[in-house]
Amino acid sequence: MATMDRTLSEEKIAAREAGYSLGWLDQLENRRMVPAVDSSDAMDSSDDGKGADLPEWSSNLTARPYEAIPRPGIPQIGAYSFRTKKEVWGYNLRKLYEEAVSRQWSSATDVPWHTVQPLPDDIEAAECQLATFFNEVEFVAADVPGRFISTMSPDYLDTRLFLMSQIMDESRHMEVFRKRALMNGGGLMRRVDSSTGVVGSSTDNARDFTEMSSRLHIVGEGGVLTLFRVGELMAYNDAEKTIYRRAAQDEARHVAFGILHLRYMSESVPERREEIHTYFDEAEIRQATGAGGENPAGSNALTSEALAVLLGGGKDKVDEGRKILLAIRARQVKEYFQRLKSAGYDDRIHNGRVNPALLAAVKNA
Amino acid sequence: MPPLDEPQSASEVEAEKPALPPLSLDWMQECLEWGTKAELGPHGLTARAINIGIYGDIPDEWEEMTRMPRGAYPVEGVPRIDLYSLTKKAELWAENSPELYEEAVQRRWIAAIDIAWESIPPLPGEVELALCQVCTELSHHAMAEGETLGNWLHRMCYGYHEVKNFLATQAFDSARHVEAFRKRALLHGHSMGLENPGWVNRRMLEVRGGWTEASLYLYLMRGPLTLLLCRYGEAYAGTAAEKKLFRLALQDKARHLAYGMSHLKYAIEKKGSGYALGLKRLLIGAEQDLAKEMQDPVLWEALAILIGGGLHHIEAGMAVVKRLQQQYLDEYVRRIQWVGIEKTAEELAPGLQEYLAPVASS
Repeated sequence: MATMDRTLSEEKIAAREAGYSLGWLDQLENRRMVPAVDSSDAMDSSDDGKGADLPEWSSNLTARPYEAIPRPGIPQIGAYSFRTKKEVWGYNLRKLYEEAVSRQWSSATDVPWHTVQPLPDDIEAAECQLATFFNEVEFVAADVPGRFISTMSPDYLDTRLFLMSQIMDESRHMEVFRKRALMNGGGLMRRVDSSTGVVGSSTDNARDFTEMSSRLHIVGEGGVLTLFRVGELMAYNDAEKTIYRRAAQDEARHVAFGILHLRYMSESVPERREEIHTYFDEAEIRQATGAGGENPAGSNALTSEALAVLLGGGKDKVDEGRKILLAIRARQVKEYFQRLKSAGYDDRIHNGRVNPALLAAVKNA
Repeated sequence: MPPLDEPQSASEVEAEKPALPPLSLDWMQECLEWGTKAELGPHGLTARAINIGIYGDIPDEWEEMTRMPRGAYPVEGVPRIDLYSLTKKAELWAENSPELYEEAVQRRWIAAIDIAWESIPPLPGEVELALCQVCTELSHHAMAEGETLGNWLHRMCYGYHEVKNFLATQAFDSARHVEAFRKRALLHGHSMGLENPGWVNRRMLEVRGGWTEASLYLYLMRGPLTLLLCRYGEAYAGTAAEKKLFRLALQDKARHLAYGMSHLKYAIEKKGSGYALGLKRLLIGAEQDLAKEMQDPVLWEALAILIGGGLHHIEAGMAVVKRLQQQYLDEYVRRIQWVGIEKTAEELAPGLQEYLAPVASS
């Protein structure tokens, strides 16, 4: 740990006599020393993943970086809606952010586009329809977190940093799928209706951070993650396999964020459990009915037909594709149940609260 | 419905399976421009390369209040999901957005790996503290920038996704700068320094008139100072690792300014001299805020100690700081003029003009 050899040196006196203030230097000298960052470790070693040093309530209304020395007379420009740790925190978010930074990829050069060869029209149309869907929906997970970044105290730095990495990831997903649709003789297809039939609130409309995260990260992105993970089944070349694999890697991080946040909420804010369960009630209705269009494999989703064509190997093999799609839906539900367990909300599975259509999807596969 | 873990017979399972709805496949015919084949170039499949045919037609206005992709087959009766306030091309466009997006992705860096933190020794006494202060300033700049972007990104409609994509990279860059400069400040056991005086932050975060107005503060007023701080940081850093840190941040900032300048110029060209006059009037008050911030001694004294190599050379360091300040204001005036705002150095707020006076030789 570095120590100060001098506190009031002749140089400081001389500098003050020359008209320099140096009050900031006094404050820095007198401030407590923090444990030095272990330079061999990527992470700030003062972070144990549990945010023990973080304030439970943030008084930071000047957008200053966490632990910067506050000054009197600074305009209070924050007006943050979220100023308590219990609203926005999650375990081990710094590690997740560091992983996000180290696993960035380029859709222009890291996807082997040269492996995309002409496909039969029905397959190409299905690829383009699916790509159009992802081109449309991916950026919801950038716009919405972005809104929350600017309404959250900067003291909850790791949450902010992670959400900014998610904005980057979703931007890349939006454009990689647009690229796929426009590079092999097809084009963008029918757009998605993401509003009709939504019961309760939607990701776009959520005003609470936990509500947004439960809907976006656990349910919405969770369903898409399952689909990306089985990308091999619907990819027709190495480029598409790469896209799904890379996107799955990103999406897994986003889902992990949601789980870590909810696990923290489950353990630290038990009085909100019933409220959070209601968010899952609403989200499961969307999963079960396909309303909101956020699950491309959903039963009434436009994209489910496209998936059936891809999975079966053509429009004349769509029955086979639908069987595989049913299995994928079942897997989506199983993985959703696993996420509930990881987050600490699997009581809804065992006490019968979970939407029965989801249970049926697992059984019928 | 029996619980999941109680076994059912095969016939029970089959009986419970819902009938599959009949297929439509109408969507297979729904494409506004089939046959699109963007080509790979020397830099791969770029965002520019896919802007072909109708997919490359950038409309002057986009009325769609959903996330419908530009060029997708429309469907009637889809409810609006948001009331995007930025729906005109002139309010956010910059022609270089696709290229800047790809450059941002290609030039990504990882603070934890690309900077050899272990090779950075502590600087002597007050010099280390001065660097903590400068890094805190840069971290604060990045924090305010990220918040500003978060405020505006969701208000931009999807007709101009190239801009949204680029600004997403800028948000990510700002996160990286917050983190990297914080890391350097804390590297040798000291704390973060004082927060920034906040007057320009306030302009950036409180602006409500539009993204162009926010860009005025973000890219004309704040951005060039951040850029210069990185440039001087690289020049005067003591180790290769620290030089690299400042250089990588500088590279990112240059890209941000390239977008911002291009957008401001485009907006003014499209909206005309009356609009430029409005932006000029906004700057009158903003420059007085900037002048207040320039008078705050914290950043300048810290820089002077860092550049001079210690308190005993603070005067020599301050001479360089004054050149930095002059350079900043000189460039500020030139940038304003370049984007199309008719303003001269003589019209700067009085508190800023003093920085333009030649530095007296010692």
